[in-house]
Formats: sequence, C-alpha cells, structure tokens
Amino acid sequence: MAKKVLLVDDSTTTLMMEEMILKQRTNYECVTAKDGLDAISRAVVEAPDLVLMDVVMPRMNGFEACKRMRTESSLSKTPIILVTTRGEEEYVEAGFQSGCNDYITKPINSFELVTLLQSYLGE
Amino acid sequence: MKISHSPAEPDRKSSALTVGDQAKVYAARMRLQNAVDQADALDAIREIAGNLIGTEEVAVFKVDKKRSELWLYWSFGVDPNKHSVLEVRREPKLKQVLKGKPVFRLKLSTESLLSTDDPVNALIPVLVDGCPCAVIVLFRLFPHKPRIEPVDKEICEVLSNCASRAVEPCHSR
Repeated sequence: MAKKVLLVDDSTTTLMMEEMILKQRTNYECVTAKDGLDAISRAVVEAPDLVLMDVVMPRMNGFEACKRMRTESSLSKTPIILVTTRGEEEYVEAGFQSGCNDYITKPINSFELVTLLQSYLGE
Repeated sequence: MKISHSPAEPDRKSSALTVGDQAKVYAARMRLQNAVDQADALDAIREIAGNLIGTEEVAVFKVDKKRSELWLYWSFGVDPNKHSVLEVRREPKLKQVLKGKPVFRLKLSTESLLSTDDPVNALIPVLVDGCPCAVIVLFRLFPHKPRIEPVDKEICEVLSNCASRAVEPCHSR
C-alpha cells in the first residue's frame, strides 16, 4: 500500500510543486491542507505516514500545529518535517521544540526533499 | 551477488533535479495564469519569489509613458520610501531590461544591479504584448540561497511573460 504524505502550505504554488515532485519521483500518495488548523483535522482523518508542513501560515502556524499533533495519540509518532524559509539555529531549535522530526528550507531542492522523505518512509 | 549502485547515482540525482526544476517552472506558470484578479496576481509574484526563487524582498515598478522613470507600484519586504522612483538614465541595467530581457546579478559579482543600498539580484521586465510595462525587482536572497540558479532564470522568464495581470488588470492572460 502506498505511503501517504500530508502536504501543508498556504501557498498553492508550493503545494503544486511538492505534489508534482512526489508524484513523479515516488509512489507516495499526497493529501493537502492549507493551514495548521486544516492540517490537524486532515491528519486525524487521513492518518498520514508523514507530514510535510510549512511554518508561516494563517490561522495556525506550523509550530503550533506540530505541537497539537503531538498531543493526538494517533499522530504522536508520525514523522513531521517543517518547511521553513529560515535556516537560522534559533528558528530550527524552535521547530524541534514544537516536536518536529526534521526540517527543510525553502526554496525546496527536489533531490533533498525526496531523499529526506525516503529516509523516513523508504522508497 | 553484490550490485553496485554508484554509477547510477549521478543520473538519478540529475534526473531528480530536472523533475524538480520542471515542477517549479510549471507551478509558477499555473499560479500566474490562474490568478483571479490583480491582487491575486501580485500575491502570486510574492509567492513565487519566496517559495520558488528564495527572496522575501520584492518590488514591482511601473514604467512611465516616456520610459524615463519607473514608479514603485507594489512591494513586499522592502522599505517603499527608499525605492519610490528609479530614473532610467541613472541605472544602466534598467536600459537593458527595458529592451525586454531579464538581467541577473553575476555569480561572483558584488555589484548591485541598481544604485540602491539594498542588493538587487534580478530585474525582470513584465511584458504586455511584447513590451515591458513594468519591472519586477528581486532584492536580497535568503541567507542560505547563495545565488540565482539556472532554474530561477526560467522562473523569471515565466514571471516576465505571465505576470502582466499584476500591473495591467484588464490585460487578458
């Protein structure tokens, strides 16, 4: 059965790009959400194998969504990768404190993205 | 039997990059072409600059009728008071851009493309019926983004050809 990835971003451009890369380079099934709140409800229903989530979003940012996902028993062990425009140490540390497993910076490098996801999900 | 995967690795990597690059260019084009109105088209420029190219400092300048000055029309992440007008006669790179082709900062150059304190990495003409009616300026790139890459130049071509709705609301896509 195909592994399922939840892509979360308020930018339709980013979602389109991520979905295209994963569809062409992997067998993962993609589902999408447009902000942190939407992501939590989608994640509970879809039970993804991994969440790839932007940090800066309206309604609820990625840090907060990540924290809340960790309180849901069904999502407490799901790998969460945050997508950020900032690679500074403090920002990354805040991501890890919110409970994420990893992070990747924008603009996304497709090779880096696929390699990172495969390290969690396998090929 | 031991099978070596090493010869295939470079191909695999270059193939992945190509797919990724194509995805970026396609996403940029679709986002601009599907913009519902002028505000959405301007938002598309911001999204493309931030998510696909790697800058959160972007401005759009409209070209005046005499093509002697460019007036700030919209900006994101830059101080609008510092960049309200650009005079073409003082900015040699702008003359090049007004011929219809984007201009990029060279890889190892420390020179800015405009005479501003803020580093400029790309000047992109926005074409309406083949004529530049505005210029998109990409300022400082993210600290982890060292330079404008070939794929970024492709995306800038898309901006040049598909962003007219952001400055000419009535212009058809």
